[in-house]
Amino acid sequence: MSHKIAVLGASGFVGSRLLELFHLTGLATLRPVVRNYSSLARLARFDLDWTIADACDQAALADAFEGCDAVVNLVAANPDVIVANATASYLAAQAAGVKRMVFMSSASVHGQAPAPGTDESSPLHTHHRFAYNNAKVRAERALNRCRKRGSVELVILRPGIVFGPRSRWVSDIADQLLSDRAYFINEGQGICNSIYVDNLIEAIQLALTVPAADGETFLVGDRERVTWLEFYSRIASGLGLDLSRVARVAPPQFQEGIFDIIEAVRTSKPVQALLPVVPGALKQAAKGAIQAVTAPPILSPWRLRAAPAPDVTEEMTQLHLCSVQLPWVKAERMLGYQAKISFAEGMQRSLGWLQFAGYPTVM
Amino acid sequence: MPATVYVNHAYLAIVTNYSDASRLVLVGCGAITELYYAPALLEALKYRKIEIVAFYDPSSARLAALHRFFPHAKALTAFEALIDLQPHLAVVASPPKFHASQAIALLGSGVHVLCEKPMASSVAEAETMISAAHKANRVLAIGLFRRFFPALQAVKALVNGGALGATTSFRFTEGGVFNWPAASASFFQKQHSQGGVLHDLGVHILDLICWWFGEPASMAYEDDAMGNLEANSHLRLGFSNGLTGEVRMSRDTPCSNQYQIDFERGRVVWRVGEGNRLEMCFNDVPFTLAGELRENSSTADSYHQAFVKQILNFVSAARGTESLVVPGEEAIMSMRLIEQCYGSRHLISMPWFTEPETIRARELARPF
Repeated sequence: MSHKIAVLGASGFVGSRLLELFHLTGLATLRPVVRNYSSLARLARFDLDWTIADACDQAALADAFEGCDAVVNLVAANPDVIVANATASYLAAQAAGVKRMVFMSSASVHGQAPAPGTDESSPLHTHHRFAYNNAKVRAERALNRCRKRGSVELVILRPGIVFGPRSRWVSDIADQLLSDRAYFINEGQGICNSIYVDNLIEAIQLALTVPAADGETFLVGDRERVTWLEFYSRIASGLGLDLSRVARVAPPQFQEGIFDIIEAVRTSKPVQALLPVVPGALKQAAKGAIQAVTAPPILSPWRLRAAPAPDVTEEMTQLHLCSVQLPWVKAERMLGYQAKISFAEGMQRSLGWLQFAGYPTVM
Repeated sequence: MPATVYVNHAYLAIVTNYSDASRLVLVGCGAITELYYAPALLEALKYRKIEIVAFYDPSSARLAALHRFFPHAKALTAFEALIDLQPHLAVVASPPKFHASQAIALLGSGVHVLCEKPMASSVAEAETMISAAHKANRVLAIGLFRRFFPALQAVKALVNGGALGATTSFRFTEGGVFNWPAASASFFQKQHSQGGVLHDLGVHILDLICWWFGEPASMAYEDDAMGNLEANSHLRLGFSNGLTGEVRMSRDTPCSNQYQIDFERGRVVWRVGEGNRLEMCFNDVPFTLAGELRENSSTADSYHQAFVKQILNFVSAARGTESLVVPGEEAIMSMRLIEQCYGSRHLISMPWFTEPETIRARELARPF
């Protein structure tokens, strides 16, 4: 693989690792594309031909992709940008004469706890509780529509829980364990559908090069069936912590609260379109009213200080309730994908990063 | 910690018309000027007779961004035109590679200079700046404004005064995923910036280390620059009195952003950015004392107030009514340490790299 690859979203967790691996092993000539100058900090360790472009600006992206044979689209952003970027990046790639685009979707298009039997052919919907899942579904659909009309080859990857150096799944869980705010639902027996970042990059490399992959979508993962208990256990062990301290909680019932409703209204397109013409005083009054409704209750001065309590989120609850290991037999069959790095080795390297980042590891 | 900006144009109209005010020019209108120097100068105008006569930047867009602060000042795209205005004072806040040439030109024209950190691109340049200040008999102040933090002045008093006994070790961690709103790429280009996170944060940290503990006797330095500028730095220091220290800086990974200093009889913790707060532990006392510093029954200066105090000190020193808190002669000490670090650098261990990556990374990680 000796061609030039534009990496869109190169400053993120997967992008950073991809730059390291591809650049240092000479797999390809890279052109990192990031949204602003601040995003250059990490990738500036290397002498690379970077470009600044807004992820939704088709003309800027076309300039950024000029001279590149392929684009790896790793944009991680809010749901609106994920959707808008899909079409903009494809059309930009087309204008720049790019041959192939690899788009990083997510296994969450099937939900955080998919039904048994789920695979790449399972129908998708946009009624998920999480806007991120719906955005990835819409982005995939937009890209597939573009592919039908366009000439840029397209490969979509759907990884599950991508972990490794700089991953929030590693640092957030380490932070929760260290501050006694970690928790298990279902005793941690849920399946986490992990994939070590280097295995994902192996899949990207194959998606860039295997001719028959054009127009296909692939689930990818680690070779092992990893539970959340095992995932937490490795990190806890690396930090010298005992998992018996981790709270075991029953799955809470999540209902749409007043804050969710207010936020949905506030961020809706009609309200956002109207905001510039709403008088400042009215905006301030609305803001005050929202704060009054959503402010936390004042606690009694007699109440004793409580031990740190886990902040149980709906996303983690669903993930901990997952009972399905998503299959990647299609990736194995068509791409020749193999998860070369074992889960244990991936975790060992992730713990090495925690130590690098100054966490109190006991390795 | 970007500042919230308040602009009172009615007030400006009065203060910028002082006939006997010191004439000040601003050199460079990037993020540091917009977020720090401009709002701090507006506050300083209330306490010292200063007139902002002009601001310079080669970018018209950046000049437009500064216009709201100084609507009566001239916006210039030619540096030489600033000197023609015969200012008394200048704040140099351009990209670091221009600091030396601009400061030397200003000093040579009889202008007192407050230069943003890092002082220069090299020790040699910094030495030339100091010589130029001596020759012109002008003040050369460096923007290491943390020395104005009451919390850090308190640490110095504890280290020097021995209230907690002798210092035994320290561990400083600073940085995080980079989020400074850089207005250009110069931060990340070797041709514009002589270093990465060490060159940026390290000048503050090493200045404080020299200020508190004196110059180290030994150093071991590692970073992750692989052909360009480092995002992570790790420094170990030893001192002739047995004190040892460790400093971690990052533009890449989450950091605790705290300075921990262990003494014989306790520990002091400073959280980065808290100008007037400290935490103290005393051996055998089962609680941590964490609180606000007070001065004459009022809250001591905050982060932003300390920045204003830096400007007031510069103006007063230029008028000969105060001693300069951060003269170039002291600021150059941290520059020397940084050059020593880069000169002896080793590639930091990145345990997630494969063997071929590590081999190539070592080839790319040659000293500057």
